Amino acid sequence: MIVFDNISKFYGEVLGVNRITLSIGPGITSLVGPNGSGKTTLMNLVTGLLLPTRGRLSVLGIAPDRPELLMKKVGYCTQYDSFPPGLTGYEFVQATLALHGLTAADARTKAGQAIAKVGLQEAAGRRVAGYSKGMRQRIRLAQAIAHDPEVVVLDEPLNGLDPMARAETIALFQALAKEGRYVLLSSHILHEVDLLSDRVVLVHHGYVVAEGDIPGVRDEIHERPAQVLLRCDRPSLVASRIFELDSAVEIKIHEDGKGLLVHTRDAEKFYLLVNRLVLEHGLDLEAVSPADEDVQAVYRYLIEGEGPSS
Amino acid sequence: MAVYDRRYRAYEGPLTPVSTRWRVLPRHAWTGVFKSRLFVGFFTLCFAWPIAAAVWIYLHYNLAALANVGLDNVQLAAVEAPFFAAFMGVQCFALGGVMTLLVGPGLVSPDLANGGLPLYLSRPLTRTGYTLGKLFTLAALISLITWIPGLILFLLQAWLAGWEWFVSHLWLGVAIVGGAIIWIVTISLLALATSALAKRKVIGQTFLLGVIIFGTVAGQAVNEMFGTRLGFLFNLPALMQSVWAALYRIDMPTMMSAPVALATLLAICGLSIGVLSRKLRAFEVVK
Repeated sequence: MIVFDNISKFYGEVLGVNRITLSIGPGITSLVGPNGSGKTTLMNLVTGLLLPTRGRLSVLGIAPDRPELLMKKVGYCTQYDSFPPGLTGYEFVQATLALHGLTAADARTKAGQAIAKVGLQEAAGRRVAGYSKGMRQRIRLAQAIAHDPEVVVLDEPLNGLDPMARAETIALFQALAKEGRYVLLSSHILHEVDLLSDRVVLVHHGYVVAEGDIPGVRDEIHERPAQVLLRCDRPSLVASRIFELDSAVEIKIHEDGKGLLVHTRDAEKFYLLVNRLVLEHGLDLEAVSPADEDVQAVYRYLIEGEGPSS
Repeated sequence: MAVYDRRYRAYEGPLTPVSTRWRVLPRHAWTGVFKSRLFVGFFTLCFAWPIAAAVWIYLHYNLAALANVGLDNVQLAAVEAPFFAAFMGVQCFALGGVMTLLVGPGLVSPDLANGGLPLYLSRPLTRTGYTLGKLFTLAALISLITWIPGLILFLLQAWLAGWEWFVSHLWLGVAIVGGAIIWIVTISLLALATSALAKRKVIGQTFLLGVIIFGTVAGQAVNEMFGTRLGFLFNLPALMQSVWAALYRIDMPTMMSAPVALATLLAICGLSIGVLSRKLRAFEVVK
């Protein structure tokens, strides 16, 4: 596990993160938050680039002030665009492996394998300076995974990728997670975070405001009524019965008369009611889906302080 | 929550010693440096003077060779400390200085400007290892054109002059190597520090040139205004001249004693290390 135990990091008088207590397990964990919220600070702490001002951090049982042990287990893909001049993609990955201490022969093999994983074989012999933004992003990914780390830390890894490369990269993250690795990433693209994450950590002003799987986090936001979208043949019947429940807050019937959006303080009661209506009145139900059980809604509720647009 | 099997296997092959990892940095930096035709041309030119000096030493002991080309009564200057001091002066201060300007300011600045340091430092490589790697990149290149040819010339002279000369002039060998190393370490650290401050190669080059020229001019101004010699403490060439005069045991005008000059050079190195320590970080705080 990656364990943050009451971690604080201050840059002089500037707050990086404060009193973070968090345990991250295998799978894909996304750090979500606005610019300057502390995501990169958390990543730099995990990779040992920063040491905490207070608290204790352990990455798979290793303290981050022991780079020789830590870096065997951790691979970091930064968001910055800097490469040693004159190197080809293949030489670049090989050089980073040499910094990890791999022998020349092993570095050659591993570099080839990593480049194949990110689908950059054809461009591997070309200079990185001539790469497109997406190719640079992929070669950075290759260097992060080339030494087979158990923890892969990726800062904005989907930036600059075209839709095809994006899909391939997400599939790569999922494959890494399926192997039991820890994939810790940050992203601003919330619908993609939704698609690929096992859990999210919402960070704001240096504090963790929520963490867990999205439905779990949403359930914990009691002050915001849950929104459920329902498509059926008799929405007015459903609406009239919902008002009998004391938990209903607002109901909007769609203009086409085939659906309604329900705001309720108790989603469980609402789902039971719908079941009853189907059994007792033969309600023809087309779809029932939560309208705000995604990262975007949770982000708005907790960070931006507004409700999602219906 | 998804449940994952742990199926991957971490790398378990042999590893190179941690103490040697920093060598990866100069290896790749040299590849980049030698891709420049301008640099290759300059680097080749740097060996013209050592070859000429070697020919001079050879002819000094083979005057018959000169007679063969019709130069019967030529008197060649003795190959002693002033000869080596003059040779090393050209190699270190002129050629070494130009090489520092060409290579030094571009070593650290691109990594800082593009946020490249996390890329290096998220490996088993410390900031000290990174600095050492970059320092070695420049120091090794300057060494190739300064004390290494100087030492070869010294050994050539010793071979031709005989064992007795070699034993009685061992101090000169130490002066050649030691004097060059003091210069190389000082100028390399200064170049890295200016590179770290400037964040752009061209600005770094201007800055480095400015530090040397401005230091000399400002030092002279301080001397003139306050009627003191303290201004020479800002004058890098004057500092080196004082140290070299003592090392080469030659009589040349010096502005201060060798220990004071050496202590000032050490202070410049310390200041440069301080700048590097402050600037070479894997993160930047935007206040």
